[in-house]
Amino acid sequence: MRIRTRGIAALSALVLASGLAGSVTVAEANSPGRGGHGDKDKIRNVIYLLGDGMGRTHVTAARERYYGAAGKLNMERFPQVGQVSTYAVQTNSGQPGATDFSPNLVTDSASAATAWASGVKTYNAALGVDAKGKVKPTIMELAKTAGLCTGNVSTAEITDATPAGQMSHALLRGCQGPTYSASACQNTAVTGAELPTTDVRVTPIAEQIARNGTADVILGGGLARFDAADEDALEAQGYDVLSSPASQTVATEDDLAATHGRKVFGLFNTGNLTVEKYKRENPASVQAEEPSLPEMTAKAIELLTKSKSSKGFYLQVEGALIDKRSHANDAAQTLEEMRAFDQAVAVARAFAKHDGHTLVIVTADHECAGFNIIEKGSYTNAEAVSPPANVDAGNTANNSTPSRATSGAKDPVRSSGIVNGAGSVDPNNFGPATFRTPDDPEGVADGSPDASLWLTYLSGNHTGADVPVFAYGPGSQALGGSIDNTDLFGIVGRALHLTR
Amino acid sequence: MSAGRLTLTVVAAVAAAAVGGAATWALAGDDPASVQVTAPDPAAAAQTSFPDLATPSEEPELAGLREADPQPGNVARVSGPFDDRIEVGRLSLRRGAVTGRVLVTSDVSDVLELQVVAGFYDAAGRYLGSGRFIHHDLEESAHTGEPDEALEFEIAFPKGVSDNVRSAAIGVPFLVNE
Repeated sequence: MRIRTRGIAALSALVLASGLAGSVTVAEANSPGRGGHGDKDKIRNVIYLLGDGMGRTHVTAARERYYGAAGKLNMERFPQVGQVSTYAVQTNSGQPGATDFSPNLVTDSASAATAWASGVKTYNAALGVDAKGKVKPTIMELAKTAGLCTGNVSTAEITDATPAGQMSHALLRGCQGPTYSASACQNTAVTGAELPTTDVRVTPIAEQIARNGTADVILGGGLARFDAADEDALEAQGYDVLSSPASQTVATEDDLAATHGRKVFGLFNTGNLTVEKYKRENPASVQAEEPSLPEMTAKAIELLTKSKSSKGFYLQVEGALIDKRSHANDAAQTLEEMRAFDQAVAVARAFAKHDGHTLVIVTADHECAGFNIIEKGSYTNAEAVSPPANVDAGNTANNSTPSRATSGAKDPVRSSGIVNGAGSVDPNNFGPATFRTPDDPEGVADGSPDASLWLTYLSGNHTGADVPVFAYGPGSQALGGSIDNTDLFGIVGRALHLTR
Repeated sequence: MSAGRLTLTVVAAVAAAAVGGAATWALAGDDPASVQVTAPDPAAAAQTSFPDLATPSEEPELAGLREADPQPGNVARVSGPFDDRIEVGRLSLRRGAVTGRVLVTSDVSDVLELQVVAGFYDAAGRYLGSGRFIHHDLEESAHTGEPDEALEFEIAFPKGVSDNVRSAAIGVPFLVNE
């Protein structure tokens, strides 16, 4: 069994090596029929990879951190690049263009997931329903109904917003289970009165996932959300249940490697999966037995391609901890999660290159925390005695009021050193985190002022910035340019012939 | 051979070994042009009823709350499904309520849902009743204050028996944090 596990790891490593070295030219990647059979434009599969909270700066910072200024992440080698608007709407809002349309400029993960999964704008916290509470089918449900194989992989609890957005319909994302709670599940601001507890919209997400069979392959965290009855329901549908909700025994990477089921339910932690940094620094820990995101991605593809009579597959893969560590302004762990996500991208691309009929989409749901790269040795407004001048105080035609005559200076109280270095013990420190890159001279250490990559955060929350989208394979041209997150529903739906 | 050419050659071989040599990923046997996908009826795609699922009628409870039997003057703990994500402290029984603090210790950017249930007992350890603290964070009002990974709770003694309460037990049956 252990050998098999290493096989998956080795597979991922090999794919990583291929991706990182950049074996695909733009012209090659735009030839959709490579490696496939028959109709070169036919799309059989879509792999949708989502970096939760991954803004443009997350991509740039990870590239510079691991591959240097002239390097590229795997996702950056994709031939099609675009940007995605992510705004949500207020509760009871109409859709864009309607007279009662009321936008909310900063989305959460639930509203964003509903946008690409169901093609509608909704309020923050809603899953699989529009802003007026109406159930909307998801791409994964449509794919399953049409006879495709389906997979849902995440490093978060599988009931968390991004994976749940494909497999459930809930008025409030907090209605996760294992048990019903009126306060967590009912939303009378939308429904007027409480719904009967038989209504899917107030049914705990875990109970929905365990019973609706929407995803054939379910890999991630969140075992504590499921109970013994859920295990019975899963087994009754033919799932190979790798992790036992009844006994709360989590699965391991060995269990994942050993399974060959067509329907697999594998949760590797009672909560979210463990950050890569911890697993790397504690290789003998229980947490280190969790599979990585690229390993889960490779296995999911293996399982979804077992059926030769299949009409294809739809696989969603989420790198969830990018967002969770960005909320914490933890740049070191954010960067390692970005690298793991990009390695999953390499796995997907390697399959797509081989298959020739697979569209790979890499994007995000929103930016998190206003991540930024500042010039080495400089400082941010948050570190300043007073914010630097932002108007031309000497020219009344150019300025706005109030103007500041001086640029301020770094405040030694609010900026007491590099947060992953000299200022690490000060919880009130607004200083940057610094990291060495491959371009730095030997001996330059993370957390030192000599490291060239200086990273800062605006806040601990989501921002309203557009997010990047990268695409590879047949149909990828639809992802170039500026699109809205609801457009992703139509693009994937048309690619797989799920929508008219 | 140039360095760039060598790199491409090596990479192509590695990629081929990754997907072909390992034979892990199978290509579909059918010509994709012959496998037709028909757009399903959207109205039928979402499963909206679960006939075999028991209908809940109450808020989450904790097994063992009624039998906790804490010593007079004490506040005991009852285990729950999310105990590996929290630390409970500052437990106190005074002025007609049990109070304490729940610190969520995993992946905290927001605590969306938290429930604390308390059982109350008389001097002989007999169960008198229960109370509940509910934290419900609507997204619309999220992220506007201090980080909320630490939540203070206060649960009043049940009416009618408050004079008899001598001890309590608390536990967390429901938590959603991200």
